[in-house]
Amino acid sequence: MTHKTARGDGGREPLTRRGMLREGACGFGMLALAGLLDDDRLRAASVRLDGADPLAVREPHFAPRAKRVIFLFMHGGPSSVDTFEYKPYLEKNHGRPLPIERPLAFDDEEPGPLMKPLWEFRPGGESGIPVSDLFPHVRECADELCLIHSMVGEGVDHGAALLQTFTGSSTFTRPSLGSWVVYGLGTENANLPGYVTIKPALSHGGAKNWSSAFLPGSFQGTPIGHAGLQVADVRGEPIEYLANQRLSAERQRWELDMLRNVNRRHAEARRHDPRLEARIQSFELAFRMQMQAPEAFEVEKESAATQRLYGLDDPVTADFGWQCLLARRLCERDVRFVQCTHSYKWDQHSDLYNRHNANAAEVDRPIAGLLRDLRSRGLLEDTLVIWAGEFGRTPVSQGGDGRDHNPYGYTIWMAGAGVKRGHRYGATDEIGYHAAVNRMHIHDFHATVLHLLGLDHENLTYRFSGRDFRLTDVAGLVHRDILA
Amino acid sequence: MRSTAPIKSSRPAVSWACALAACLPAAAAATEGLEHFEKRVRPLLAAQCQACHNAQLQSGGIDLASADGFAKARDEAALISVEDPASSRLLAIVGYAARVKMPPGGKLPDEDLEVLGRWVREGAPWPGAKLQEAVLPDSERGAFTEEQLGYWAFQPVSEPQPPAVSDLSWPRGAIDRFILAKLEQEGLAPAPPVGRLAWLRRAHFDLTGLPPSSDEALAFAADRSPGAWERAVDRLLASPRYGERWGRHWLDVARYADSTGNDEDHRYPYAWKYRDYVIEAFNSDLPYDRFVTEQIAGDLLSAEPDPRGIIATGFLALGPKAIAQQDKTRMLYDVYDEQIEVVSKAMLGLTVACARCHDHKFDPILTKDYYSLAGIFASTRSFRDAEAHVSRMLLKPLVPQEQYERYQAEQMAIKNRRIERDNVGDIEIEQLVEAEASRVADYMLAARRAYEDGEDADSVAAAEAMDAGRLAKWIAYLQPAQPERAQLASWHAAGPGQRAEAAAAYQRRFAGTLEEWHHTIRRWRKDTIELIRNGTMPPRPKPRFQAGRDRFFFDVYEAKGGPLSFRGEERDRALRPETLAAMRRLSEELEELERGALPEPPMANAVEDGEPVEQRVFVRGDYSAEGEPAPKVFPAILAGFDQQPVRTGSGRLELARWIASPSNPLTARVMANRIWQKHFGQGIVRTPSNFGKLGSAPTHPELLDWLAAKFVEDGWSVKAMHRRILLSSTYRASSATSAPAAASDPENLWLSRFHRRRLDVEELRDGMLALDGSVDYTTGGTLQTGSGTDRENSNDRLSIDPATSPRRLVYLPLRRANLPTLLNLFDFGDAVTSLGKRPVTNVAPQALFMMNSEFVARRASNLARLLLAAAPGEDAERARRAHLAVLTREPSAAEVDTALSYTARLRVRFPEASEQDAWASYCRILLASNEFLYID
Repeated sequence: MTHKTARGDGGREPLTRRGMLREGACGFGMLALAGLLDDDRLRAASVRLDGADPLAVREPHFAPRAKRVIFLFMHGGPSSVDTFEYKPYLEKNHGRPLPIERPLAFDDEEPGPLMKPLWEFRPGGESGIPVSDLFPHVRECADELCLIHSMVGEGVDHGAALLQTFTGSSTFTRPSLGSWVVYGLGTENANLPGYVTIKPALSHGGAKNWSSAFLPGSFQGTPIGHAGLQVADVRGEPIEYLANQRLSAERQRWELDMLRNVNRRHAEARRHDPRLEARIQSFELAFRMQMQAPEAFEVEKESAATQRLYGLDDPVTADFGWQCLLARRLCERDVRFVQCTHSYKWDQHSDLYNRHNANAAEVDRPIAGLLRDLRSRGLLEDTLVIWAGEFGRTPVSQGGDGRDHNPYGYTIWMAGAGVKRGHRYGATDEIGYHAAVNRMHIHDFHATVLHLLGLDHENLTYRFSGRDFRLTDVAGLVHRDILA
Repeated sequence: MRSTAPIKSSRPAVSWACALAACLPAAAAATEGLEHFEKRVRPLLAAQCQACHNAQLQSGGIDLASADGFAKARDEAALISVEDPASSRLLAIVGYAARVKMPPGGKLPDEDLEVLGRWVREGAPWPGAKLQEAVLPDSERGAFTEEQLGYWAFQPVSEPQPPAVSDLSWPRGAIDRFILAKLEQEGLAPAPPVGRLAWLRRAHFDLTGLPPSSDEALAFAADRSPGAWERAVDRLLASPRYGERWGRHWLDVARYADSTGNDEDHRYPYAWKYRDYVIEAFNSDLPYDRFVTEQIAGDLLSAEPDPRGIIATGFLALGPKAIAQQDKTRMLYDVYDEQIEVVSKAMLGLTVACARCHDHKFDPILTKDYYSLAGIFASTRSFRDAEAHVSRMLLKPLVPQEQYERYQAEQMAIKNRRIERDNVGDIEIEQLVEAEASRVADYMLAARRAYEDGEDADSVAAAEAMDAGRLAKWIAYLQPAQPERAQLASWHAAGPGQRAEAAAAYQRRFAGTLEEWHHTIRRWRKDTIELIRNGTMPPRPKPRFQAGRDRFFFDVYEAKGGPLSFRGEERDRALRPETLAAMRRLSEELEELERGALPEPPMANAVEDGEPVEQRVFVRGDYSAEGEPAPKVFPAILAGFDQQPVRTGSGRLELARWIASPSNPLTARVMANRIWQKHFGQGIVRTPSNFGKLGSAPTHPELLDWLAAKFVEDGWSVKAMHRRILLSSTYRASSATSAPAAASDPENLWLSRFHRRRLDVEELRDGMLALDGSVDYTTGGTLQTGSGTDRENSNDRLSIDPATSPRRLVYLPLRRANLPTLLNLFDFGDAVTSLGKRPVTNVAPQALFMMNSEFVARRASNLARLLLAAAPGEDAERARRAHLAVLTREPSAAEVDTALSYTARLRVRFPEASEQDAWASYCRILLASNEFLYID
């Protein structure tokens, strides 16, 4: 595999899975060898899993438009009518009562009156897509965006909405989107996990939002710290147990050589058991990974200009900027699915104006920086970027200066591989409450993302507990109109 | 009795399917109805509604321009009520009788309203707008197929005789004869018996999850008297460590954890009592039928509530739950679904939950069977308040009701006294703030002189006779900040000449809000005092100011650090001394009350009977689409068609008795298979929780039946099963694989040899802690701290890291949403669904744990210290002890030599390494070795 993204600031060609195989070694990551999966699990899979290496690269169902995904998650639920979907009706009818019956709400108070967007919308780029003043930098990248104004979910509370956004089910524990993707495609860099989630949320389902559930554990997301930690806390040991704080590499290698001898003698007396040899190999792989993986996390090796582009020079943007820049480095190294989380900040039941301002200020520059950087490095051609919250917010006010949750019609956007540029798709009703045109249920969203990656959501299944499960349950429709 | 009544729901409760049967119009009437629709209704809709309510715009999510769109609006937006068409929402909307009034341009003329009215009254027929599929009555479903009726797992347990075998010297008992007969048939010979110490290591890990100590190993090796093996097994079964090990196996099946997992991940405060109950049940060899019965209906077994029985129902209560889900009906039916799933998988080895939306695709389990069970759980309460915004789980007192009520009354009295005390100070602070409200503008102007004009704040305060501390707070609050705060925008925008005017405006607004707010508070106080004086009703909590009402007011008065927010010491300083003294007196009284109060009675997370529900089938799993009645009976394929439905109570006790019965074909087989599986790595049925068609067929069906029959005959004694298995020749066989066995039976289906197995995460972690003597064998109780849920993204949301506690792993609380890395790494599972068999993976991060974790480093270094102290200066003896402790065997001479030369060479190569470092390195090699990780 010769990916053109080998040229990073680090300048060294990342080790790819196939490259390593050529060198006579096997992969890393959440790698596994013979005996990793018992037979039941191999039989349960709709894709051909290699029992010796379930993360081996697999052919997609059809030609993919995207090879990898960066998911920028805005936890808490940014308001669509204040960011990316302009609703003039709200301007004109500010203060009037809601003209429709309110659907099931999160809060039981009587709905407040319609509330106009609290920010000006202005056209961005050549496409002239209106974006509010909350996102001036992203607005400059408007021509990269494919806005989807008609998202629909079922969870009216955060927990259900997060679970459904990431697993398709708002109630049950199911494998996450990233797990399904790595299950379907494997991973190309043996030295890094196939699915990384940077500073994920511990709340609202926590690890269930990146878990592999009943899929083999190799497909679960590898968390880099969590949302409650500072970047400085995370940087030292991004992946647990990855570094040895006590022994020099030389001494550790010496010890491992002895371990290999001991294990070899043991295995020779016990023929016909491939698991023993597999575990011997796992130590060799672990050692190599320990030597090589940390380089991917060395964000500080990026040039000053690049760091500035992502806002690392400003304490306001430094955290999310670090996440975005790390995401780019991981993508360059062919990590299949990377998620960045802007921690649980967007839940403005009150004080919408002040706090949405503060939140957007933290992510606007880093996101624009990421889009520009990916574009200039050619990565945007095969990387799909997704920006989404777990839902939007109501067009009516709550308590005078906030908005309640709204999963019935909200905006997300995609950019990059395989999607139209400078495009708006779908719409809510004129109030901005319900998706009205080209409704895209979360199942549809998942089906479409899988499609972009070359996977047919109906044929990506796994048998568990007497059923063939898929990410999209019994639903899901690929929205081809957003495809480039 | 209530019917399956939804509470807070996003869907209408009335279903089309059930109502349809009652009001389906006769054919002629139907034709007429359609004619009316085509002639009058369709044109009306086109003229008045479809401009907005079409497929593109779907205003309000409603499409009235197509049959499908209408069907959806009818069912999902509940536009039409079939049971009572006259009360349909559509009519209320067009009649301008609902909050939503359509069309928006003005009410339709009466004539048009009558057109719509007639159409709706006739059932709102629309060609092609499909009604939800009706469920056919039982009789039309037909019987099951012969194949289904004859399926092996549904047949009564037989009592087969052990078969004849050629080699009479090998079998020690019936088990061995079943195994050997099959081996002989396959042309395979059993592997030779394993050595004494290897067997002991096997038995120790299998029964207690721990390695034998060196002393235990040496004693067993030396004990050549008759009955040595039997005594070893009995010793292990009598150890409290046994229940911790086998209790944990059951906790896997029971998907045990200490929090709800979904959304809020609330703690189950008393889950640990269920866990301790399970451990104790295994230690005391509680008969399995009783164990099953208690977990489903322990609260119903005696007239007086028995704490143990109540705790046992934690099995049903402790599942994952989405308690912040706002569609409460859906939440409840998800809970019932989860309960059906865990009961059927754990106890029956069936995947009944597959039948929620349609008949099971592979097994003869009908949707109706599912809803019959759902009715039992719908008649059972898991919540004390399901309708709360965040539903509140049921906590049951384990003391008599009157004692609990006394406790509650005392707690209410304490709470009331606290309100009374706080009132004394609050009233005075409110007066103070009312007085200060007239100086808001002064302070604002003074603050601006300091922060903008550069005057010295203290001098300004002195000159204006202001409190310097308060002025400092005003300055801090009013200074411009990025991003700009909306509530201060007009203050900052005011130029020098407009300052006074702006300040006055802020003051006016503040005073206005203050008056309203204090009015609210005073009304609450008056009501509260009245309630406290004359009633048993607990007063409402003090209202809290909603920041959105007036954010400036909130910032100044209510927010922490606000200029007029008085808290803590500042509050004490502001109060008059006599007020403080009065409060102190009340505080003392309060403390006395608290001291004298009953302690919180012991409680449990449990279930109890609720109001019985007459459950109906939900068509395609949708609770708003009710189908035929599903009386409380058990799955027909197992229990037959002519059952008498349960008519009183929830039906849990009847369910428990039906499952825990010798005549249930699955219960004993499933448990016997689970026990077998944990000793041999694989079950006789290799899918321990799925005995259905998609599961594996039994490799030794007669043996399985023999075991199941013996299990029942022995009074459902689990320990008797262990004895039988561990003392068999089959269990004593070596794991060495002969070439013919490897060729003809690579999966070891026929058990010619022992199935080498990897330690699971408990064995690995507890085992290492035991080796260096660090493990703390305290039993029971909880290590959980805190209550409810935690701050978003705080470390408190994590489970305790097993590397930091010396207790056995089974006692560490499990937060479902965030299990420890170690557990994820070593295949613990997710503690969300019933897990009959953990997967076994071999991944590089496991090796990294052995290489780099502080936990393993400490074990190795402790072990080295022990070796050095036990055999000072005797390296060969150290090597011997290390092998005996870690691997439960004597090392060969060559191995001793290797150890000695390794430790010596290491110190030459790395001169900074101490003697202990060298031995620690050797110990880590042993701990990381395959020989330690795998049981031969």
